[in-house]
Amino acid sequence: MKNTMTEQLKRTKTGDEQLVRAALRGETSAFGAIVERYWTMIVALALTKIGDSAEAEDIAQESFLKAYSQLHALRKPSRFAGWLSKIALQQCTNSIRRTVRCKTAFGCKAIPVEDLDLQSAQTNPPGLSESQIHFVRRTVGQMPEKFQQLIIMRFVAGLSAVQIAEKLGKRPGTIRVYLHRAYNILRKDLAPLFEEVES
Amino acid sequence: MKNCEKFQNLIEKYLDGMIAEDELSELQKHTQGCPSCRAEFERGAFMEDAVKQAFSSDTSAEKAGASLVVRLPAEPDDKPLTRRPIVLFAGMRAAVAAGILFVTGLFLGFALDRNDEPPAVPFRVEVPISVGRIEGTVLVGHEGSNVWQPLDADSKVHLGDTFHSTTKSTCVLKLGDQSTLELHQNSMLVLETFNGETQFRLDHGELDAALESPHPPFYISTPHGRVEALGTEFTVKVTDK
Repeated sequence: MKNTMTEQLKRTKTGDEQLVRAALRGETSAFGAIVERYWTMIVALALTKIGDSAEAEDIAQESFLKAYSQLHALRKPSRFAGWLSKIALQQCTNSIRRTVRCKTAFGCKAIPVEDLDLQSAQTNPPGLSESQIHFVRRTVGQMPEKFQQLIIMRFVAGLSAVQIAEKLGKRPGTIRVYLHRAYNILRKDLAPLFEEVES
Repeated sequence: MKNCEKFQNLIEKYLDGMIAEDELSELQKHTQGCPSCRAEFERGAFMEDAVKQAFSSDTSAEKAGASLVVRLPAEPDDKPLTRRPIVLFAGMRAAVAAGILFVTGLFLGFALDRNDEPPAVPFRVEVPISVGRIEGTVLVGHEGSNVWQPLDADSKVHLGDTFHSTTKSTCVLKLGDQSTLELHQNSMLVLETFNGETQFRLDHGELDAALESPHPPFYISTPHGRVEALGTEFTVKVTDK
């Protein structure tokens, strides 16, 4: 019965708030719907910090599990996405810190995005070559953190500026101003890639 | 040119994910005949596609959701306690009311009587002790809080603080004068008051004290008794044996 209800919720694009409340009532499948909604966004956020795709997915999983275990601490369920992003960024920081502490030890695999050239991209969708993917990841990774998050929420999660504002508890005008600054940086920094692809 | 300004705004709206369908078709129609707007629009669309491709995940969202759900416990942790209404019988109500009145009376009597005097132990009093060398991870907990924070050189020290050194960790506390206390690994030291003065209580573990000479009476209490410093350098060790 619960599963049927959750499926229905997913189909009707239920808000985060209702899914969080359902998860708090013990409906794990409601949390599964949340994971589906934000999986690509959280992996992408991790990829702004971590060079390795598999490690980024591990961090995303850890972030969701941590978010689930601390769900009661979330004061405003409508801001779940912003809260989850903070958890994911913290997990990335922890992972990088662990790697720095035990560089030679077995199991320390987080590669900061700056060292991306050393690692081959696991993901290679049609359209961009491996080196071009690295170039885009590095470009986004070098932007100020607040811009990175907005660009990922906008282009990867496909949220509009107004939806992002709701999820972060900010004014839409503020988000649009930040987004436009971010677009300007990206336009400038991705220009060589655009020329390369065009030619 | 003035007309293009409108389409530049539409391109920004497109990038913000806020363009209406009719506006998008109007924009697309315009870009067919305007090379500069077309170039701008294509660059914007390329930027979006490039970011989307570069940050895509190997695992599909559906698969990730399904595999994570299997790993979730039945309910999130730390579920807050549900509050049940408290039902009191008449006799109990009277007893509770009397209790409240009694406590209020006591408090008021105490407060009025002691109005001029400062409280004996103000909440979180900073003491003239600073943190010196730290090795490894030493945690500090403030009185009345069950949160442990890592101690660092800038940490302020308060009355009631508890210092807990983990394995292979030590820290040095510098007292107001030149005296120092070095807490060894796996030790717990509490700052408390005794007869209105800051005192140290070593609950377990070991510490080295190096006191300035001459020094006022200096004590360290332990679960087994109180130690008075007669010299300037000594070690206190508390074990379960």
